[in-house]
Amino acid sequence: MNRFFLKAIVPIALVALLPMLSSAGPKQSSQAGKPATALDLTALKSVGSKSAPITIEVFSDYQCPQCRIFYLETARQLMQTYIPAGKVYYVHRDFPLSMHSHSREAARWASAAALAGVFETAEQTLYTKQEDWGATGKIDDALSSAISPADMKKVRMIEATQGPQIDAAIASDMALGNSRGVNGTPTIYVFHKGQMTPLPPGGVNYSLLKQYIDYLLQQH
Amino acid sequence: MSQASPIAIERPRTRSNLRFLLVAGRVLLGVVFLYAAYAKLHFNGSWHLGDYYFLFAMGIDSYKMVPLGIVVWMARILPWIEVAVGALLVVGVGVRWAALCVTGLLVMFMVALTHAALGGLEINCGCFGNNSVKPSHELILDAGLLAVALAVTVGGFFSRRAGKSQA
Repeated sequence: MNRFFLKAIVPIALVALLPMLSSAGPKQSSQAGKPATALDLTALKSVGSKSAPITIEVFSDYQCPQCRIFYLETARQLMQTYIPAGKVYYVHRDFPLSMHSHSREAARWASAAALAGVFETAEQTLYTKQEDWGATGKIDDALSSAISPADMKKVRMIEATQGPQIDAAIASDMALGNSRGVNGTPTIYVFHKGQMTPLPPGGVNYSLLKQYIDYLLQQH
Repeated sequence: MSQASPIAIERPRTRSNLRFLLVAGRVLLGVVFLYAAYAKLHFNGSWHLGDYYFLFAMGIDSYKMVPLGIVVWMARILPWIEVAVGALLVVGVGVRWAALCVTGLLVMFMVALTHAALGGLEINCGCFGNNSVKPSHELILDAGLLAVALAVTVGGFFSRRAGKSQA
């Protein structure tokens, strides 16, 4: 009787489970077929707390000299002063300009570094060593000098295997920039109380940006 | 019965045409300066009377011509100077001095714009707040406005002198 019961119940159970198994199949394949939109690197390429009262969004090109100046003279000080205090959320957006031969490749490496969890080091290295890799195109070498071999191995693997997804993420940043009329770098937006304010193009002096941020923080 | 000579008729007509052009010129200059001030004080859909100068100071600083202390000071007062001279020109009060002030401002703007264009600075001129165009384009506009401002200034001083000599 028990054997008969088992013989009857197993096929019924299999038939019942079959639709569930078959519906799981296409779901996996549809996720694999979503190369562009599935990869959102915004959080990985941002610094600070998302709940900060001020968000600063910067569209930049790693090979652009003005972006380098902005990063070294303004952004770093901004990050040191306001991000630990939870007052500013700093968002990096890729906007590689076609006039720079290696900037798109640099953005790809920086995105791979973001996926490997070493974005801040990669960004800093790309700007500080901009003249070196900008002339030779050897971005891998420049990053290797600052990122540990283990992390660099991860970055290389991600860059090699997730290239199309990363390219799609860069294209998504560019599309956002184009929709706002960005036509040069760095282009900086300040978000405060739901209002988006574009700053004058070409980079901003830290002292002036600090005065503006302090003023906005006083409005709370 | 005497007939007026054609020259005698022509002179007042030319004078009134000239006067009309000068009035149109000063009103145009006034409107442009009022709009320039408005664009600096009103953006993102609201007035920014408390914080307009932060953004304008960043714009002035992008020319890399003057020290930061002066940049902030200029950013604070320049829109209000534009309001004052713009209003005077539109209303027609103190036209000579307002036009002279506008001429001086335009010369100053053109020096800055030339500096930016020659230096290859990829900046917006900041003249009309966020609606500003590239310095090279703005230079052409300012050159036209300078010609009008000079005409209004010279015309204003000449008409004043003519009025005095008649008296």
